Amino acid sequence: MGAGVAEVIALSPVRHQDDVLTGEGMLPVVPALRDLLPGGGLQRGSVVTSGDWGLLSLALAAGAVSDGAWCAIAGVPAAGLRAAAEAGMDPDRVLLVPEPGSAWPQVVASLLDGFDIVLVRLSEQPSAQLRHKLEAAARRYGSVLLVAGDWPGAQSRLAVASTEWTGIGTGYGRLRARRAQVVASGRGAGERLRSAWLWLPGPDGAVTAVVGTAVVGAAVAEEIVPGAGGYGNYRGVAELLASSG
Amino acid sequence: MTSAAGPPGSRAAAARRVLILRCPDWLDHTVLAPEDTAGASSIRSERRAGEAAREFESVVAIVGNFCPHVEVLRPGVCAIATRGPARYFGGEAELARKIAEAVCAGGFTCQVGIADSLFAAGLAARAGPTGLLVPPGETREFLAGLPVGVLGMPELCELLPRLGIETLGQLAALPSAEAASRFGPEGKLASRLARGLEPRPLIPRPPAADLSVRQEFDPPAEQSEPVIFAAKALADQMHDRLAAAGFACIRVQVQVCCEDGRELSRLWRHDGLLSALAVAERVRWQLDGWRDGAAGITLLRLIPDQLVRATGRQLALWGDSAPSDRVARAAIRVQAMLGHARVTRPVLAGGRRPAEQMLLVPFGDAGEPQLPPDRPWPGRIPAPSPATVFGEPLTASVTDDFGQPVSVSGRAQISAPPAWLSADGGPRRAVTAWAGPWPVTERWWDPAQAQRQARFQLVTEDGNAWLAALREGSWRLEARYD
Repeated sequence: MGAGVAEVIALSPVRHQDDVLTGEGMLPVVPALRDLLPGGGLQRGSVVTSGDWGLLSLALAAGAVSDGAWCAIAGVPAAGLRAAAEAGMDPDRVLLVPEPGSAWPQVVASLLDGFDIVLVRLSEQPSAQLRHKLEAAARRYGSVLLVAGDWPGAQSRLAVASTEWTGIGTGYGRLRARRAQVVASGRGAGERLRSAWLWLPGPDGAVTAVVGTAVVGAAVAEEIVPGAGGYGNYRGVAELLASSG
Repeated sequence: MTSAAGPPGSRAAAARRVLILRCPDWLDHTVLAPEDTAGASSIRSERRAGEAAREFESVVAIVGNFCPHVEVLRPGVCAIATRGPARYFGGEAELARKIAEAVCAGGFTCQVGIADSLFAAGLAARAGPTGLLVPPGETREFLAGLPVGVLGMPELCELLPRLGIETLGQLAALPSAEAASRFGPEGKLASRLARGLEPRPLIPRPPAADLSVRQEFDPPAEQSEPVIFAAKALADQMHDRLAAAGFACIRVQVQVCCEDGRELSRLWRHDGLLSALAVAERVRWQLDGWRDGAAGITLLRLIPDQLVRATGRQLALWGDSAPSDRVARAAIRVQAMLGHARVTRPVLAGGRRPAEQMLLVPFGDAGEPQLPPDRPWPGRIPAPSPATVFGEPLTASVTDDFGQPVSVSGRAQISAPPAWLSADGGPRRAVTAWAGPWPVTERWWDPAQAQRQARFQLVTEDGNAWLAALREGSWRLEARYD
């Protein structure tokens, strides 16, 4: 048995590292997001990004929190917790550290030790060394580090590619719901590019799927996944996806 | 003092005398009967109680000059046993007068009551502008004339008058066993209180094993936070030991020693109800109120005091979603890094503006929104709610096609459709959709708080949607839907 494991390590050290997770299991997400994440949930010990701060960040945590998980939100002084509550996130299970300041890496590491999900918005881009440390902390404690921003080593990356508000016109109506296309990519099992149209939020604030099926575009995926340009080029991709899917 | 259990009779009652000092300054916001330390209302007031406790510490220190063991029942009320000090200071009346004088000299107003039981002393303290001294053995007569409402037990207080029992005297006249079988544990407790007895008989002798817990700090802790962090773990340990022995404690003594040899010891009401986190909170109050920051802390000791049989009552600070120890530990550790107030939990509140609808309460404190969330709040923007709510609204400029600022008349007519939005001095973005104005006139009855504004929802070309408000001619962005 030992030889087999050694062989695997020799073949793919990076992959092997990813597979070693002490925190077993998966944290649930709301049904609309299931198809976008490998395994249909948030893998404990992993890092997931949600693009810039927004309802998507809260929605990613909402499923697990309503299932009894505890969530800490760091670095977001303007988090709208009523929106979170409407998306299914019980505020009683949320801790806010609005301004962690320059000690944010220590704060996040401490929070990872107690909370199932730590949602953090970065004020500065962390060094690779720091990222590895925090990734290790997430793995050790079996928590999920949810990053609003960019995190090169993330297992899954979600981002809102395009949005359209409904219910509001020029001088009439009001904001009722937003159709948003969410694009997901990642490493390992999440390598394929997926996309889905979501109500983000729906008329009652809940996050639901507009179309049930996720679109997978392998050809397109190759084009953008290694891209160093961040999410800026997703708008074009979304159109491609829409035409192919 | 711990031997005051005996059979309920006048001898035992006369043996124990309690003085209660009450400072009305801190009590405006609490509506508790003296014995009601268990109710949800005590939790509700706990946040402000935290601030009050820090200030109240100076009063406790004054009382501490008369008697080393001062028990803090809650911020604003403390108690001492009078037997020793009364003998030293020349009688109870003299003691009460001296304490009241000393506290008044410190710049506080106070009332002092003395009686045979804590409950009666609390009522005696409220009996007049300066309080009342109930002579030994007369506690039952003193209580007899009071209405049952003073018990602070809403259900029982509603039921008893309907049965013709309107005063504590009539309640005390019922045999204790009858009261217990007819009204349950609450009735039994009420009956004991009405007869001038302590709510639960104390365990006659302290158990052989030492149930106190301690932690030494080497090097001495300069900051309060590590001590509070340790207090949580110690309280857990103490509760475990008590539970293993089948006890709960009425009070917990928190003893802190400094490297310069000073020692501060305080008694806090526990009643077997405090969580480990709540005990740690009390340690924080004690340290905040006392430390001048000069000397490091070398020792923290928690001593359970006045043991009673555990009856299995448990109070959760957060209702059914009490944080696990792991969660609380992580939160306290971050508080140790950043400070108490910078780690918060959100409480949804009422109100019309998004920023009003969320209250951030420091972790460990209990908070209750001033604006109740479960009212209709007409004029509130309905769901979906914005995911980004600016605590301090962003300044903005909203202009029409000709670059003129958009304004709203007294009749809620806009000068021109909004065409461009610039947020917080940022670039100008085209407005693709908008709705409003929705005029809101809030608190017109109170000139100091009155607000009149017109609100809009704006969608800009980059896909962002904003909640904007026009007030006194200037535009502000209250929230972003993103």
